Amino acid sequence: MWQKNKPYLLLLPAIGTIVLLFFGGLFDGFLKSLGYFPALGQTDFNITAYRQLFSSSEFWASFNLTFRVAFLSSVFAAVLGAALAISLFMLKESTNGKSSSIWHRLFQLPLTIPHLVGGYIIVLLFMQSGFLSRIATNLGFIDTIAEFPVLVNDSFGWGIILTYAWKEAPFISLMIYPVLSRIHQSWRDVSRIFGANRWNYIREIVVPVMMPAWTIATFIVFVFTFSAFEVPFLLGVTYPSTLPVYSYQLYTSGTLADRPEALAVNIILASFTVLLGLVVYAINKRWNAVKGWD
Amino acid sequence: MSDLRIINVEKQYKQPQQKDHSAFSLRPVNLTIHEGEFFSLLGPSGCGKTSLLKLVAGLLAADNGEIWIGDQNFTRVPSEARNFAMVFQQSLLFPHMTIEDNVAFGLKMQKVDKQQRLTKARDMLEHVGLHGYGKRFPDELSGGQQQRVALARALVANPRVLLMDEPFSALDPGLREEMRDLLSRIQLEFHVTVLFVTHDREEAFSLSDRIAVMSQGELLQVGSAKELYERPLTTKVASFLGMKNIIEGQVEDGRFRSADGSFELLVDATIQHASSYLIIRPEAIQLVSEDAPTPATAFRFQGMVEQMKFNHGFYSVNVTVGKSLLTCSLTSQQADTLYAGKSIILQIDAKDAWLINE
Repeated sequence: MWQKNKPYLLLLPAIGTIVLLFFGGLFDGFLKSLGYFPALGQTDFNITAYRQLFSSSEFWASFNLTFRVAFLSSVFAAVLGAALAISLFMLKESTNGKSSSIWHRLFQLPLTIPHLVGGYIIVLLFMQSGFLSRIATNLGFIDTIAEFPVLVNDSFGWGIILTYAWKEAPFISLMIYPVLSRIHQSWRDVSRIFGANRWNYIREIVVPVMMPAWTIATFIVFVFTFSAFEVPFLLGVTYPSTLPVYSYQLYTSGTLADRPEALAVNIILASFTVLLGLVVYAINKRWNAVKGWD
Repeated sequence: MSDLRIINVEKQYKQPQQKDHSAFSLRPVNLTIHEGEFFSLLGPSGCGKTSLLKLVAGLLAADNGEIWIGDQNFTRVPSEARNFAMVFQQSLLFPHMTIEDNVAFGLKMQKVDKQQRLTKARDMLEHVGLHGYGKRFPDELSGGQQQRVALARALVANPRVLLMDEPFSALDPGLREEMRDLLSRIQLEFHVTVLFVTHDREEAFSLSDRIAVMSQGELLQVGSAKELYERPLTTKVASFLGMKNIIEGQVEDGRFRSADGSFELLVDATIQHASSYLIIRPEAIQLVSEDAPTPATAFRFQGMVEQMKFNHGFYSVNVTVGKSLLTCSLTSQQADTLYAGKSIILQIDAKDAWLINE
């Protein structure tokens, strides 16, 4: 009995902490988003916070910005990441892996840099008084640094998008590359014999093979950027702000009355993430893209 | 005629990193493979037959030489534009495609419309005995079935030449024989030129119209299975083809004399004095009784039975003749009277004794 239950008992402290802090916090937030706030003397449940959020233009502006930033970041990171992974794969095929490992390490470099530092690098590079605008001015492409497009702290969110595209592309390539390395070396020969040029090979063999890992990696990036806080906080504008920043602004607005709304934003974020997860799972299952592998 | 001509094609590989291994080179190869012919490259592993196949396919670039089909020079034509097909040792089907998509892959690359290519793919699957398997994925098929699909994929686009690189070597013996029969039937049906690589003598002999024997990057001899077997030009070819009785000796004054003096027989008088090897096929050796008359062209010798092994309906009998050991094939009926240590009389006809001067 003891031997059988020992592993579970040994795991109990870790599991207990996770359940208490993560699910406990989530559950507490959920209760508070439903108006259950004993500190304010509110002990009944209602959906006022949700109703107020859905009828507020601020929330929808924030939602649109968050969706746009997450969508564009994911698309750019996915394209860039896939291009990186395919380039490394083709490089490995053509040079028998001699120089590809150096490039592999180099492309993985952004993974080691924290998001906040990545965001700061983008600020230094892309703001109107940043490196790139000064270089462009010195080279005579623009007359003054004020002519440089506003890419940081802009209402569209380009600074955030650039940061995430740069930061997450290596993550996507890291997810795809092991799948690509499963591609049989002779498949290129087979495809050539049957008339496929390099582009046909990528389109017909490489892309379909990496598609499941690619969609999942892109989904992870989307979910992460959709609910990430620090980069939008650093590189975004006060209005509209992304949903996590909006939630933070509500939470720290100085009045406890805004807190159910702040927590309702978090619950909406979490629900949206779960919903997207289910959609991607269903698509992958229906797609049957992993079918046929040994 | 759209014969495949390989003219002085050669390839030198780079020196490997381990200095004790010398760089492999494929010496200049000249071959003409006739349209609709089943031609095999036979040789031990590492002799350069797959390299030659890849050079023909355009997957490797030759250092020198040319590849022609009819009056078209294919030397500089990229592999994907040659309209050749290839079956590899492994089926190498694309796992994310259904069987019919795999078969139709070549047609898709030729931009044949979807309906037409799928119809052709299904038709070809029927030819290889896989009717109804089109919607499955490769991992749902056995190894033999996968190799049938690879064959269908190769044939469906009506290739100029079908290249096959030991396609049945990964299959078990029963299945291998079944696939050989299927390939023979299909090759005759489609009249496709086949260049087949194998290290299996039996496979090459049973399938090929002609065979080229290769060794250490060199083409040793080209001929039909019968020619190669009965008239090998070198002891290397003879050894690779499994010849048992290769006897070293000298030709002097129109007679071959073995080095140990146990054999002496008349040979063609035009053969000059030379170091030679006498080759006697095991089935050409007859067991005779002492009192039987000796034909004028025959040669007799006495030996002692060393060992007898039963082998697919006949006996392989090792006989000591002087200091030489001969192997002969005898029927069960003949072998019934034999036992180890028995003294016997053997006879061969002069026309069955093949002399190689080296």
